[in-house]
Parts: sequence; structure tokens; C-alpha cells
Amino acid sequence: MSRFISKMSRRAIVQALIALPALSLFRNQAAPANPGEIDPDEIVEINGWILRRSDLA
Amino acid sequence: MIFDSYEAYRQAGFKPKVCILGSGPAGTTIARKLGAAGIPVVVLEAGSREFSDESQDFYRGKTVGDFYFDLDITRLRFMGGSSNHWAGWCRVLDSQDFEPKAWAPDTGWPISRADIEPYLGEVHDILELPDFRPDVPVSDDIRWVQLIKSPAVRFGEKFADELDKNKNIAVVLNTYATELIGDGRRVTGAKLWSNGQDAGTFTADYFVTCTGGLENSRLLLWSNERSNGGVVPNAAALGRYWMEHPTFQGGNAILANYSEFEVDASNEAFFSPTLVAMERLQIMNFGIRLIESPYPNVKKLIADLACTAPNMAEWMSTQLDQRLRCAAQLYVAWEQAPLASNQIELSKTDVDHAGVPRIELHWKKSPLERRTLLEGLRLFGTTLAQKNLGRVRIDEWISNGGDYPTNEETAGHHHMGGIRMGTDVLKSVVDANCKVHGMDNLYVGGSSVFCTSGQCNPTTTITALACRLGEHLSKVIAV
Ligand SMILES: Cc1cc2nc3c(=O)[nH]c(=O)nc-3n(C[C@H](O)[C@H](O)[C@H](O)COP(=O)(O)OP(=O)(O)OC[C@H]3O[C@@H](n4cnc5c(N)ncnc54)[C@H](O)[C@@H]3O)c2cc1C
Repeated sequence: MSRFISKMSRRAIVQALIALPALSLFRNQAAPANPGEIDPDEIVEINGWILRRSDLA
Repeated sequence: MIFDSYEAYRQAGFKPKVCILGSGPAGTTIARKLGAAGIPVVVLEAGSREFSDESQDFYRGKTVGDFYFDLDITRLRFMGGSSNHWAGWCRVLDSQDFEPKAWAPDTGWPISRADIEPYLGEVHDILELPDFRPDVPVSDDIRWVQLIKSPAVRFGEKFADELDKNKNIAVVLNTYATELIGDGRRVTGAKLWSNGQDAGTFTADYFVTCTGGLENSRLLLWSNERSNGGVVPNAAALGRYWMEHPTFQGGNAILANYSEFEVDASNEAFFSPTLVAMERLQIMNFGIRLIESPYPNVKKLIADLACTAPNMAEWMSTQLDQRLRCAAQLYVAWEQAPLASNQIELSKTDVDHAGVPRIELHWKKSPLERRTLLEGLRLFGTTLAQKNLGRVRIDEWISNGGDYPTNEETAGHHHMGGIRMGTDVLKSVVDANCKVHGMDNLYVGGSSVFCTSGQCNPTTTITALACRLGEHLSKVIAV
């Protein structure tokens, strides 16, 4: 994986990763308490990342 | 005056009022203060002008508990002490560090920061520091704090000339004080070891031990054992509440704009919690150090983020296109909860060449500290995300409760506690003036007297306390 990454441009890495449909399976997203009221500014911790919920879109 | 041997000193016929043991930052500062006040003072220094393996060997010891540095590696035994290889990071303990914390037992000092502030001007001259900048709040929870990277003054080199010319000060090298002798009210003498042999007993009106944050405890423990409690009559806390600043890489951050924060000459910035945040989360103080990431790490980090938050990763990737500096490694150093069980003991089996038992250091990090590490990174990450300043990834071993890595920084080489200051004789050894409880003429200099460690490197506070003790002793002696 690391050799693969080092050969690609930065933008290409991100775009390739985004394009992979299977990736969403790994998105360990925290479910909102009430799906109707999603607060985009809520802070969530996923895979060690401290993110805003809106980052997960 | 500087003498290279105890024999040469004896022939000079100098009559000191005060005997200081050790010529590191604490001992040298106190000696200069007393010398300036016209008080004759002798500094007995175990080592010589230069490093030697023979001298360093006296510092060997053993650690029980968590992984720690070899005890002869984490300090230096020659003129100037560990200032001969300190890194020069400077900051004074925060006001809040002196206050008791309801959620952490045995915290709080009998003095406040205001008691050492009058000496900070002198400290700035001694350590060659510019003025400190006030903290800058980043959020209600996190503040930017300044640690000054000073020229790392080598006390032995910087002050050798001055000490040599001062007729009130005699520095005696290669002279190891193996033991203090006391009768439960006064220290009556110090046993010396010089030139590989017993060199008799040294007398003075006052004694100040400044032998470093491990050795001060060793000297007093051994002296007290030999004097049947005549050196530290209230010894319940002697050697206990020893502290370090555990230091580990805790994660990484991608930053929207690195220049958002003021960085020092090495592009580093430091952050600490506010008291409000410490109180709310019931954690200790900590310092997060931002160190610019090398480029390949940034790529890996963005690829990792893409798995969780693709849009964010794309945004970060754009930042990377625009700026070369956009990510940082996060190193966390934190305040240890003072625990009586973290303690310096005398080895029952191992002695040095002079027959003094070596140190057995019992040291373990506590669950409260583990929580401080995790919650500290969360606080910092939350602040960056809320303010849209960047995003933080906490290292897996921390999120998952894994073991501390053994291939990392580990700690700061900051040896604190063991002879802590206080009013309760069961939990402290010296009073607010650094005088050993129950003794009329025995004082302690250095970070051994720290009640808590705060998050910052200790030598600036050590030097301020030394100025204060020097002034106090001058007044006591003048009466
Ligand atoms: C690698 C490293 C990096 C560091 N970086 C920093 C930093 O960036 N910032 C910071 O604030 N601090 C730093 N420190 C800590 C700093 O060096 C110490 O806080 C400081 O030197 C303590 O001063 P001291 O005078 O109390 O003791 P010491 O410097 O340990 O001096 C004690 C002296 O006593 C002598 N001695 C010992 N036993 C006896 C005896 N029985 N009789 C006579 N003499 C004796 C020793 O030879 C020595 O000269 C660092 C330390 C290390 C090891």
C-alpha cells in the first residue's frame, strides 16, 4: 500500500480512494440520535479522527 | 575561587558559613546569591570540570515499574550538572499548577506563583531569556502557551570565571558528599569522599543539598538511615511523590493554515488546557507540541482520512497543494498525578565505589494520567474541528487503551518530587522556605521540592526557587 501511494500524486490518491464504492463499507459513521435532526457541527470521533459530522458527507 | 581537589581547598583555609552540595543550576544560583550578599559559601561538587565515565558510574541505579531511562544516562555528574546537556526549553509553572485540585489527591503547594514572580527578572538574565508572552486562548478549553527555546546555558561554563574570581565563593571539585550527619535538630557535618578515599567530615553553619532530583533523595535517605533519623526527623514522605513528564507521540493533525498559530524558530507550537477544562474532565495539566510533519507522512495521513471523511480529505489535499506546511505530529507531555508509591528507595544489594547504596526508582504512570493523555488529545482535536483550524487523528494505541510504546521519547529527563514542599509533615519534607521540617540548618534546592510538576520543563522554576532560597538564606544569616 505505501509503495502504491508513493507512486501516485496527492490528488490522485484522494480521488482514487473516494471513487472506490466499497470504501463506504468502512466508514464507521456514528448514527445520529434522531436521523431527522443531524447537527453538521456535532463533533464525532471515528477511526481516531476527531471530525465534524459534516466532514463525513 | 575554584579548587580542583579537596586537598587544595583545605590548604587555602577558607571559612564558609554555608555549604552547598552540587554545582548544577540550583547550587550555582544559590551560591551566586549568597556570594553577592557577602556570605562566604562553599560548593562541594562531586564531579570535575569535564565528563568522566568514572564519575558518571556513581549515578548508576535501577528502575522498577514502567520503562525508564538508565539512571546514569538521564543526568550528568560534573560541574554544572545536567545543564551540560539540557535542551534549554523554558517556561515557569502556571499559577494554576500551584493550586490544589479536588480531583487529584496531594496536589497544591504551600506557596503560589506570586512568591516566585519577583525573581523572574533574575532568572531571565541567568538563562538568557526574552520576556515570556502571555497565553493566548484558542477556545474555552485550549490555550496557546509559549515555551522559549533558550540558548541552554551551561552553568559550569557560563559562571566558571565569575565563580573563580569571587572571594566569597569556593567551588571544590572532585568532592563527593556521601552523607550528612545530624542530631535531629541540626546537620553537624558532611562526610566526604575525594580522590578515591574517605576525606573526613566537613562542617559549616548551614547546608543546602542541590544534588539533583534523584540524588537529593538518595543522599537524605542514606544520611537519615545512618543518623537514625537525625537528618530528616519527619521522613514519612522522604523519597516519595517522585514525578516525571511522560512524553509520547499521541497523534497527528492536519492544519488548515499552519501559520494560524504562532510558532517558534523550529516551527513548533505548544498548547495546554485551561483550568476550566481540567476541572470539567478531571484531568491533569498537559502540553501538546506541534512538530511539522515530513511530507510523506502528510500523504499517508490524508489517505487515511479519505477512508473516513472523503470530502474532508479532498479539502486537505487541496491545502497540501497550496501549502507545503499543513500537517504536524502531536507530542504530548503531561503532568503526573503525585503518588506516594512513585518513590526513590535505597538499593539493598548495590552500592557505589564509596559504599553508598544506589537508587532503586519505583515509577509507574497512573490511570488518571492515561485519561489525561486521551482527553487532552480529544480536547485539542475538538477545538481544531470546532474552529475549523484543522483535524486531529489520535494514535490507535491511545484510543484502544494499548500499552505505552517503548521506542519513543518516554519522558523529559525531568526529575521532580521526593522531597516535596508542604506543611503536613506526613506528606512533605521541606517547608515553604525549602528548609527540612524539624531541622534548623538544612535546606534543599532543585526540583525535588516540587509538589506537582505542571506540564512544563522544570529548570526555569528551579532557578526561580533557587533565587528565592538564596535571598531567604541571606536574610536568615544576616539576622
Ligand atoms: C537530556 C536532558 C534534557 C533536558 N532538557 C531540559 C529542558 O529543555 N528544559 C528544562 O527545564 N530542563 C531540562 N532538563 C532538566 C535539567 O537539566 C535539570 O532540571 C537541571 O539540570 C536540574 O538542576 P539541579 O541543579 O537541580 O541538578 P543537576 O543539574 O542534576 O546538578 C546536580 C549537581 O550535583 C552534583 N552532585 C550530585 N551528587 C553529589 C554529591 N553527593 N555531592 C556533591 N555533588 C553532587 C552533580 O555532579 C551535579 O553537578 C534536561 C535534562 C536532560 C538530562
